[in-house]
Amino acid sequence: MKVEIRKFGEILTSRPAGREAGLTIKAYFKPEPGDRIELDFSGILAIGPSWLDEVLTILHGEYGKDRVVCIPSENASVVESLKIIETQRSE
Amino acid sequence: MKTNTRSQIIKIIEKKGKIRPSELREALNLTAQAIHYHLRGLSKQGIVEAKGSVPFTQYALAGVPDFEAVSSWVNARTLAQSPESLVCETRERLTARLPHLKPFVRNGLPENLLPLVISTAGEIGNNSFDHNLGQWQDVPGCWFESQVTGGHLWICIADRGQGIFQSLVKVHPDLVNDQVAIEAAFETIISGRAPEKRGNGLKFVKKTLSTTPGGGLACISGTGRVYYGEQGERCIALLDKHFTKVRGTITLMIWRLK
Repeated sequence: MKVEIRKFGEILTSRPAGREAGLTIKAYFKPEPGDRIELDFSGILAIGPSWLDEVLTILHGEYGKDRVVCIPSENASVVESLKIIETQRSE
Repeated sequence: MKTNTRSQIIKIIEKKGKIRPSELREALNLTAQAIHYHLRGLSKQGIVEAKGSVPFTQYALAGVPDFEAVSSWVNARTLAQSPESLVCETRERLTARLPHLKPFVRNGLPENLLPLVISTAGEIGNNSFDHNLGQWQDVPGCWFESQVTGGHLWICIADRGQGIFQSLVKVHPDLVNDQVAIEAAFETIISGRAPEKRGNGLKFVKKTLSTTPGGGLACISGTGRVYYGEQGERCIALLDKHFTKVRGTITLMIWRLK
């Protein structure tokens, strides 16, 4: 199941907004058992690690890390946010 | 004679930060035509630049952002209100102001950097609210100012909050002073809101500005100060000139334009 992140806004930086987005995805996007949640970042302008961290924390808690996939993006803010979150979680 | 007058003009501008031509005329006892002649010459040489539009034009040294307004706001002992055009009193106002960075692409900001410019500004600005709600010294919110000068985009974000040390020491009592706290905030995964799993925003900002050619960042909180990136030293030198001890936090970021 694909989630179009741009539908949450063009600029996504704050934790409260990220938490709200994560809870919304959890409530309204119901993947079939075994189906993956794919986050599609195309069309967004800028994202921050705080916003993304909140979303991923909620989705990983609900579906497990393996079922949540971030579709590769060329947007530098997506790439760098994902890197810093990965680093934080591996420490 | 020409060189001497121009040196005097530069010295006056260095001292005052920025000045109107009429003030220079009085200070140097020259005609308006003579002052404008010299200012045009200095502008052509790239030494000074005009700011604001006629009839409110002022001249400042080229390539140096204007910190007059933010230093008055940050350094004031107490404040009853803030200038609405430069201070985001709520997180919603900050969110609404971030898209205002988009037009800097027309000033030469590389398009591929725009997402990073916005996300780093968003991280720093949101930190003001994340760590200071209910803790403001007086007025709430963050100063959010962007300026283009000398081929660079400068973004200055400040708050009159509790400062990084006070924010962190409650959950990390091992942090002994402002300097240790500010370094920990930018260089380790740490948050004043533990046990909430936070603390990646400043590392993101530091890494981004450190690895972007022509980028730089400096931050002062209390007596703690850090700087990173190719132009970090330049940023901290400018902040040091206007701020010694900051009760809240001030951050200056610089991006090179094309």
